[in-house]
Amino acid sequence: MSEELCDLSATEISRRVKNGEVTAEEVLDSTLQRIRLVEGRRPSTNPYSPEGDDRNKVHAYISLTEKRARLQARAIDDAVKAGEDPGPLAGVTLAVKDIFCVHGTPTTAGSKILENFISPYSATSVQRLESAGAITVGKVNLDEFTFGSSNESSAFLPPVGNPWDPSRVPGGSSGGSAAAVAAGEAVLSLGTDTAGSIRQPAAFCGVVGIKPTYGRVSRYGLIAFASSIDCPGPIARNVTDAAIALQIMAGSDPFDATAAALSVPDYFSTIEKGIKGMRIGISPDYHKLKFPDPKTGEMCEQSVDEEIAEALSRVLDHLTNAGAEIVENVAMPNTRYGVPAYFVISRVEAASNLHRYDGVKYGYRFDGEVSNLRELYRKTRAHGFGSQAKLRILMGMYVSAEQYEKGYYQRALKIRTLIRNDFVNAFNPEGPYQLDCLLSATTPTTAFKIGAIYGNSVSMQYADLLTVPANHAGIPGLSVPAGVDNAGLPIGIQFLGPDFSEANLLRIGRSYEKASADEPWRRLQPKVLHA
Amino acid sequence: MPEYESVIGLETHIQLNTRSKIFCGCKADSWEDDPNVNICPICAGLPGVLPTLNKSVVEKAVLLALAVQADNILPISYLARKNYFYPDLPKGYQISQYAEPLARGGRLIIPSADGEDRVVNIEKLHIEEDAGKTVHQNGKRLIDFNRCGVPLVEMVTAPDIRSADDAAAYLIQLRRLLRWLGISEADMERGQLRCDANVSIRILGEDSLNTKTEIKNINSIENVRAAIKTEVKRQIQTVEAGQTIEAWTLGWDEDTETLRKMRSKETEADYRYFREPDLLPIRIDEEWLLEIKSSLPELPLARQKRFTLDYGLPDYDAAILTEERSLSSYFEATVKLSAGDPKTISNWVMNDVLRLIKEKKISAGGLRLIPKYLAEIIEIVESGMITRGTGKELLVNVEDKGKTPLELVELEGLAQVSDEETLKSMAMTIVDQNPKQVATYKAGKATILGWFVGQLMRATKGRADAKIVQSIFQELLDNDGDLGS
Repeated sequence: MSEELCDLSATEISRRVKNGEVTAEEVLDSTLQRIRLVEGRRPSTNPYSPEGDDRNKVHAYISLTEKRARLQARAIDDAVKAGEDPGPLAGVTLAVKDIFCVHGTPTTAGSKILENFISPYSATSVQRLESAGAITVGKVNLDEFTFGSSNESSAFLPPVGNPWDPSRVPGGSSGGSAAAVAAGEAVLSLGTDTAGSIRQPAAFCGVVGIKPTYGRVSRYGLIAFASSIDCPGPIARNVTDAAIALQIMAGSDPFDATAAALSVPDYFSTIEKGIKGMRIGISPDYHKLKFPDPKTGEMCEQSVDEEIAEALSRVLDHLTNAGAEIVENVAMPNTRYGVPAYFVISRVEAASNLHRYDGVKYGYRFDGEVSNLRELYRKTRAHGFGSQAKLRILMGMYVSAEQYEKGYYQRALKIRTLIRNDFVNAFNPEGPYQLDCLLSATTPTTAFKIGAIYGNSVSMQYADLLTVPANHAGIPGLSVPAGVDNAGLPIGIQFLGPDFSEANLLRIGRSYEKASADEPWRRLQPKVLHA
Repeated sequence: MPEYESVIGLETHIQLNTRSKIFCGCKADSWEDDPNVNICPICAGLPGVLPTLNKSVVEKAVLLALAVQADNILPISYLARKNYFYPDLPKGYQISQYAEPLARGGRLIIPSADGEDRVVNIEKLHIEEDAGKTVHQNGKRLIDFNRCGVPLVEMVTAPDIRSADDAAAYLIQLRRLLRWLGISEADMERGQLRCDANVSIRILGEDSLNTKTEIKNINSIENVRAAIKTEVKRQIQTVEAGQTIEAWTLGWDEDTETLRKMRSKETEADYRYFREPDLLPIRIDEEWLLEIKSSLPELPLARQKRFTLDYGLPDYDAAILTEERSLSSYFEATVKLSAGDPKTISNWVMNDVLRLIKEKKISAGGLRLIPKYLAEIIEIVESGMITRGTGKELLVNVEDKGKTPLELVELEGLAQVSDEETLKSMAMTIVDQNPKQVATYKAGKATILGWFVGQLMRATKGRADAKIVQSIFQELLDNDGDLGS
């Protein structure tokens, strides 16, 4: 398949649109054309069973906002004609994860309970990207309220298919985002990362995703899962595009008290500077994964897939050649507790964050007979929430109950501090390792089959084993593609750095991208484009 | 029957008078506004919104903490989520404070009914958001979110109060303090000051704490008094009948003056408090604390005491003058501008100025009759330029017309007729024209003298000194109309 406008990078598109070489509307049309080609039937909340060529299509978009997008595109083209600056993302098409509020559009969170909710306001990230010239094409699918790592828990089905093999999951929860970007259904996407929800799908779909430092990007307008760890971030096809998007999204926000007041560095002034002399660490705790067996509770050990380990060692060669110093055997002893602690903290916050969906104010309300208010709540929530939301409510309510709270929630918070201390120690300029970043595989495996793990929430959570520690610690992480396995499925690696070190991570990521530009896998295209 | 003592603790909710709400920019005060007009995505709890803390809520709460001599204003305190379902609680949790409130410890001194001051200890003080309002109408629940996010301070006392009257006195003192500090309008009828009372009884002399009941949402000071009295009586009767007190939550029905059982304590919810992840800890550093401290005014009881010491006022006067801060400042400003006796000024303020304030429904600070003008009026009355009665009218005139007292005296010719010759000749005319009354006087009815005085006062439109006029008439009548000439 020849390269279309929608396959170009954000930098290239905005350059051409500004020059008048192409119009924003042409970019939009190209994107919509691609969507028609690969998307398949639109996911809905109707009873679902796979049919036809469902398993050959992407199904990334819950809703398309074509009219709104066209108005945006025309406004940009008018600005170009009038000699005005249309912004650094002029004409760049954007898929917004349907967990962000976008003014005047259905904002479902992938849940039946918000199926008919039209947001009266836009999230800060969305508003900033749109002001920079990005065109919102639509809202993409996700795990319900971001609760998952495969996109299968969405109330809107068929589930998203991985563009590299649509019988496999795109990862989650920003699976729609990663799939849309990988398949050229958008140039950029806005995702969220609570335990790896940007990095893991980016790795599964062969694209770039950055989870910024907690507080780097405003959460205003992001429908909350676990408020103390949710992070909005961009998904793109290359590191530079991710940097452009992050540059625009980042910074303080009067509507988010937890958005850092720190100024945003210019990521472009350093991104091409190379990594000579940088100290990049690897840790056995990110290779031999330890986790409690779901049935017995005993600690098990499992290594990341061999092919992924091999890819990682090729990455190390490139980084060494580029002048970086590799530090081995970095001790990250608390990594193994990341998932259990996450189970507790995220569910306490999730249960509380889901309280507002009661059928009283907006969204779904049970429309049968009810005899009293409690029954209205119960029926609305019983019919409105999917099983993942219910599991999180049940567990969250349990571990935050007065009699258990100390044993679970307070303990999990302590573990969070221990995990953060591992990183603080690794990055400490006077410490034993003095790292600029820690490098690991993003995921222990490549994309798994739809239906293979879904339903086993403990196993599913181990897809996040390598990513969740950064969420506990609040530090940034950048996932970039690093090859494919024998089945042709993308492999992702992640760079984790200290607080607010995004500029460094992007620089390292870009350096690796350049060093590996000639590797044959870089020329592969997702299978769905050839169907 | 043994003698019982009541043990009462009060939990008050104080609505702060900030311009905007605690976590968003909506107007905080919705009194008499239509339902659901002062709301936005944030206070209505739409998906994806976040709260941001209104700094002046913290400042006002800290000011109150300072005023009640809090033992510990926490340098770092946290907001927490209190989770429960209710239709008028749009997020399904209330943002409040829990394990780390803004301030702990403190005391409020209340002058008691028996004349002895009492100390009521404050256990804690924290900030939180208000919920909305549910109105039941024709079998439907109507919800008004205007009140969502209105800033509240919750202040909880120790079980230090020993009578319903002292509970009422506590609320009166608290209300006075809140208005004095300018942080709340503290009108109970408007819900700006709300009170829940925890009530138990014990045999006088014991110091154990027995099972308490909680009376919720009492909406006036008189109702607090009545509800506690009723509950204490019920508890005594229950114990005397050999039954035990159960930890009920009660509601006060104003119309029937009875208590209604709302729920048993066993069914109380677990609110699953945890720290609010959407807001940063509240940090009150030394500098900020000093800044707030510098705006702390002299407090009512201190000023009341000082008035008795500095100005020799009776305690009664000092109490009335310091009932309200603006009035007390008005009084003191007048004293400082005047050479007159503070007690005289106090009389003028307590009678005439206070009446004016009540009629006009404004505060002393809003009067056009500024302290300087009051001082002038008192001075020209004392010097005899105008009569006391004219002075009282002048005071109202200054307020109504916005002119200075001296301008009005000049303009309206109010100066007293103090020329005795003029008064004498007027008096002689009156005596001449009223032989009947003269005869009555001669017949021994001396009280008719007043009638003569009144006639002359009428003729001078009250601008004569009544004492002088009386002596003139006395002399005239006793001397058969011959004034010793």
